Amino acid sequence: MLAACSGVQSALNPAGGDSQHLYRLTVVMTVGGTLIFIGVTVLLLYAIYAPPERRAWLGTRRTIIYGGLAFPITTLSLLLPYGLIVMRDTDAPSPDALQIEVVGEQYWWRVRYPAEGGRPDFATANEVVLPVGRPVSFTLTAADVIHSFWIPNLGGKVDMIPGRANRLSFTAERTGVYRGVCAEFCGDQHARMAFDVIVLDPAEFDAWRAAQASGAQAPETPFLERGRTLFRTGGCGNCHAVRGTEADGQFGPDLTHVGSRRTIGAGQFPNNVGTLAGWIANTQHIKPGVRMPSYGMLSGEDLRAVAGYLESLK
Amino acid sequence: MNVPETQKSFGRDGSEFPNPLPRPKDELQKLKRAWEPPRGLSFITAVNNTYVGQWYVGTAFLFFVLAGILSLIMRAQLAAPESDLVSHSLYNQLFTMHGTVMMFLFAVPAVEAASVYLLPNMQAARDLPFPRLSAYAFWAYFVGGLVFFTTIFFGLAPNSGWFMYPPLSSLKYSPADNADWWLLGIGFIEISAIAGAIEIIVGVMKTRAVGMSLDKMPIYSWAMLVFAAMIIVGFPAIILGTLLLELERAFDWPFFIAERGGDPLLWQHLFWFFGHPEVYIIFIPATGMVSMIVPAMAQTPLVGYRFIVLALVATGFLSFGLWVHHMFATGLPKMSLSFFSAASTAVAVPSGIQVFAWIATIASGRMNLTTPSLFIIGFLFIFTLGGLTGVMVAMAPFDWQAHDTYFIVAHLHYVLIGGMVFPLFAAFYYWVPVASTRALSECVGRWVFGLMFVGVNVTFFPMHITGLIGMPRRVYTYPVGMGWDELNLISTVGAFMIAAGVALFIYDMIRNFRPTLDDNAGNVWNAGTLEWLPNSNYGTRTIPVVKSREPLWDQPGLADDVDAGRYYLPGTVTGGRETLVTSPFDARPQYILQVPGPGWQPFLAAVFTAAFFLLLTVKAVILSAICGVLALGFVIWWLWETDLGPIRPPADIGGGLTVPVYVTGSMNHSWWAMIALMVVCGMIFTCLVFSYLFLWLVNPASWPPSGTVMPGFLPGSTAGGLYVASAILVAVASRHLRGDDRRSPSSVPLLLAGAVVLLATGSTLDLWTHWQTALSPSAHAYGAAVYGIIAFQILFVGTSVIMGLYTIARWLAGKLDSVRRATFDNTMLFWYYTVGQGTAGLLVVYGFPKLVGGA
Amino acid sequence: MTRRRFWQVFMMLCGFIIWAVQFTLIYGATSTTCALEVAETRLLGIGIVPAVIAAVTLAAFLCTAGVLTYALREHRRLQSGNAGVTDIFLSQAAILISAFSIAAIVWQGLPALILPACA
Repeated sequence: MLAACSGVQSALNPAGGDSQHLYRLTVVMTVGGTLIFIGVTVLLLYAIYAPPERRAWLGTRRTIIYGGLAFPITTLSLLLPYGLIVMRDTDAPSPDALQIEVVGEQYWWRVRYPAEGGRPDFATANEVVLPVGRPVSFTLTAADVIHSFWIPNLGGKVDMIPGRANRLSFTAERTGVYRGVCAEFCGDQHARMAFDVIVLDPAEFDAWRAAQASGAQAPETPFLERGRTLFRTGGCGNCHAVRGTEADGQFGPDLTHVGSRRTIGAGQFPNNVGTLAGWIANTQHIKPGVRMPSYGMLSGEDLRAVAGYLESLK
Repeated sequence: MNVPETQKSFGRDGSEFPNPLPRPKDELQKLKRAWEPPRGLSFITAVNNTYVGQWYVGTAFLFFVLAGILSLIMRAQLAAPESDLVSHSLYNQLFTMHGTVMMFLFAVPAVEAASVYLLPNMQAARDLPFPRLSAYAFWAYFVGGLVFFTTIFFGLAPNSGWFMYPPLSSLKYSPADNADWWLLGIGFIEISAIAGAIEIIVGVMKTRAVGMSLDKMPIYSWAMLVFAAMIIVGFPAIILGTLLLELERAFDWPFFIAERGGDPLLWQHLFWFFGHPEVYIIFIPATGMVSMIVPAMAQTPLVGYRFIVLALVATGFLSFGLWVHHMFATGLPKMSLSFFSAASTAVAVPSGIQVFAWIATIASGRMNLTTPSLFIIGFLFIFTLGGLTGVMVAMAPFDWQAHDTYFIVAHLHYVLIGGMVFPLFAAFYYWVPVASTRALSECVGRWVFGLMFVGVNVTFFPMHITGLIGMPRRVYTYPVGMGWDELNLISTVGAFMIAAGVALFIYDMIRNFRPTLDDNAGNVWNAGTLEWLPNSNYGTRTIPVVKSREPLWDQPGLADDVDAGRYYLPGTVTGGRETLVTSPFDARPQYILQVPGPGWQPFLAAVFTAAFFLLLTVKAVILSAICGVLALGFVIWWLWETDLGPIRPPADIGGGLTVPVYVTGSMNHSWWAMIALMVVCGMIFTCLVFSYLFLWLVNPASWPPSGTVMPGFLPGSTAGGLYVASAILVAVASRHLRGDDRRSPSSVPLLLAGAVVLLATGSTLDLWTHWQTALSPSAHAYGAAVYGIIAFQILFVGTSVIMGLYTIARWLAGKLDSVRRATFDNTMLFWYYTVGQGTAGLLVVYGFPKLVGGA
Repeated sequence: MTRRRFWQVFMMLCGFIIWAVQFTLIYGATSTTCALEVAETRLLGIGIVPAVIAAVTLAAFLCTAGVLTYALREHRRLQSGNAGVTDIFLSQAAILISAFSIAAIVWQGLPALILPACA
């Protein structure tokens, strides 16, 4: 199982300027709300238990005018502009932002990095890699039903709606591994639709980008070669693309560099030969309702070969 | 019309009461006989509010328990990560059904049901103005709700969430019938809620105790008035939404399909325009209950009556400006979101007003810590917390984090359980003595409260944190190691504590609730309002004159005088069931409403209406059509027995006051109901036009899409001309049907027949014109929107035609004349509405594309 | 319902009716201009969206202030005469409702000062 440590998917552990703004708003409102709550509770208990002559001042219309009208109107007149300013300052587009396109599909994420300044475009899936300190702008849409794109540590969520292209902008300011998740109920496996978010130093990011844009690695051993053959003869290429081979299907995730990803199954399992083999053989058991059928008919040896081949696609 | 201009004041000693003692011997006997409930198996034909109200409350509570059990299964599944207790497909049905059943089959019916029982008692009316309508609403809800619930046992329950967002709920992604169960099942239960709301509006406005002017109305009546007004404005949006989605699923009209010009967001606007007010629709009656219970428990009048009225009205308005706060994450422009942020902020103020009004009332009196008081204190605690998190999520940027996480689950349960379930339990403990020979147990009640209060906080408080540390809603399981395990386990333990509390409450009910008609436990709390007067199936013996908001406190001896027959209408003047109608503002006696008694028609009409919708869901079209015709037949049979006319001359109800037993025109109760119905229809139509304009904004460049042949103005204006001509014929018929001499000129049926022909021709011409241009309803959202407007108009023309023919039949049967013309008036009002709607529809369909420069 | 009562109820609800009209107008105008992509249009140097919001809010504010003044004057008039309790109640409700509506109306217009039109 995914051995993520807690805090990788938390709004209370901000790792960027935007999420920091949102976090501060959360803290301010929580503290304010707690104080108001205590105040109301104390007044209520006072109204019940204080001796009649001492609580008499509370039992008049003045209480309503000050407590129910003047106080909330004053407090809210301060809170509302603050909230609006946070709204203005977060999720604000920036002209030099890194562009990333993400499409929500039942139940995975299609990710595309468009060409930028001579660097070619490429596709990946279920993983978003970002450079630290540089604004990012996502273009979000959905292929089938409504999904919602949410990386709590980095910013708020934005729905992915068929026929609409929504925007989300933020800047990651701390390197590390985070987790994003689908926040809008999208069907059978909504619960198992997550993705990894990896924030890298700019140099590492450039290296990653260059590596992802290249074609797939050729198999280095006969065993892996056998895996590639099985991948082709099994018809995997009808749905999956492995750039540099004849596999060019577009229905499922691009697997050109699947071996380089942290997890598989849309953020479900750590990525290794064992989990890959288990996934291929039992897809419908592990994540019933996804489009990919189980390939349980593969022999153990064949399964290992295919899984090994995929794992080698670094 | 003999209407007194000033209220008389009545002394304790005397002769000045409207009716002298002793009363004639057989007077009470006759009253009892008129209100005799049906016996044996035919008790289900009872329509009286005491019967229907209790059945209604009981059924709503049953659904509360059932939906609660569903939530226990969910909590058991979530107690541990990666649990296999229930499958994903069952879980998705469970949470969809939990939300749907709690909102549509428990919360709204429960508050409506409580008011069916309480309102007439509280206003000293003998019954609601349309008892058969409440019976119909109840049975439709009972049958439809139970059948709907059983789908969970067959795996057929809806599974797209209670919000049913397309495209997930569209045919492509939900090909099975599950979604149709939601659309048809819930859609028609909404109609039953609207029927109830119309009844409540007329009940509050027209059937109050004499002298109970607006400023003396119990806050509960105010709350129910606002509640009902919100229903008739808010529910039409969801009715239209379900209609459009069902049209899309059944006939492929692409209202929500993006590839063909539709937009999934249209559904969200329609759903939440209903869905947000819905929350306040549930909350407002509960606050009304609290405002009744707090003064009784503190033994002092409510502080800030006017402020609370302001708060109720303010909530009623502002809650319609909040709907997009459920859509903060949909990517709408920030400016648009901020309007809803501002309104969501503003709506916090009225809640604050009410909370401080209750605190002030408690402080000015002496709170007895009875079980109802405990539930009220628990309500204030839980609801205040929920209200504060509500202000937090009103800030759009915070909501971008909290939206669709367990934080929202926590917030909404704090608001709904705090704001509605706790007041409802307070109400059970408080009002059971009105309906039962015994009160509920104070001792058991404390345990019920303790378990529920601790349980709610243990269940839902941790969820605030679970949500902020990343757990999304509506997940059937979650991975290990996210830091959510302990919090979820705690929530599960809390959920079972709530269940234990509810189970104990059921035990208390079984032990102590003994329903009775005229032997209730009495005014055990020394409360000040009229529902604590001695009463029976006929309500109170006489209709009292009230001079304050707490007449039982301020008018000594009122209970005895009312029961002895000293006040108005001590018996029955027509020999049948009747109640006194008073003027809407000052509550002066206006006329005697002849209330219909038991009958099979509402029951059978409801059963066949339910069958019509349910069979339609499983696509048994022919059987369904048969049931539909039968339902219509029973409704017509039921109506045929109403509108009795002035069966006797104006009657003396005491105090020298003589009032008629039949009036027509704007004073008549059914006129008011018809106006309310027209508001409902007008709102549905407004939402339809909004949908049309919304789809235009989605496709500004192709409205209509290129290649569409626009019909010329001639057919459109001809259809409009036919509509207006038919309205003129009806107006002329109305002129012919005037005078006090009970004339029934034969020009009336002829004019009506002419109007029927003109109206039907106009509508047919409209449809035929568009059909001729080969506009397809399924090719593009434009066609779908145009045919949507046309189809909606055809529905209304069809109804008007039936009403026209029915009115002609009344004339032929000699049941329609220039005095006895309430039926005609209703048909006339509906006719004018249909013509107005049709003309507006023609203007939109023919004019708007030209206006925006398309084709 | 007599004409006088109708008028009294209308005046009582007027604050919120004005709020509802303001809300519909500013939300409708923002949605329409953003969807039709004409938000760049400028009126007197201000973007069309904030300009419309400001104008509508100002008008709503003035109307509601007028209603409040009317209700206060009406209330004073009623109290000096021997008016019915219902009349006094309705005029008091009109004062409370229009006063509170003013706050709601101001809040409603606030975003125009802070936020961009269609981002």
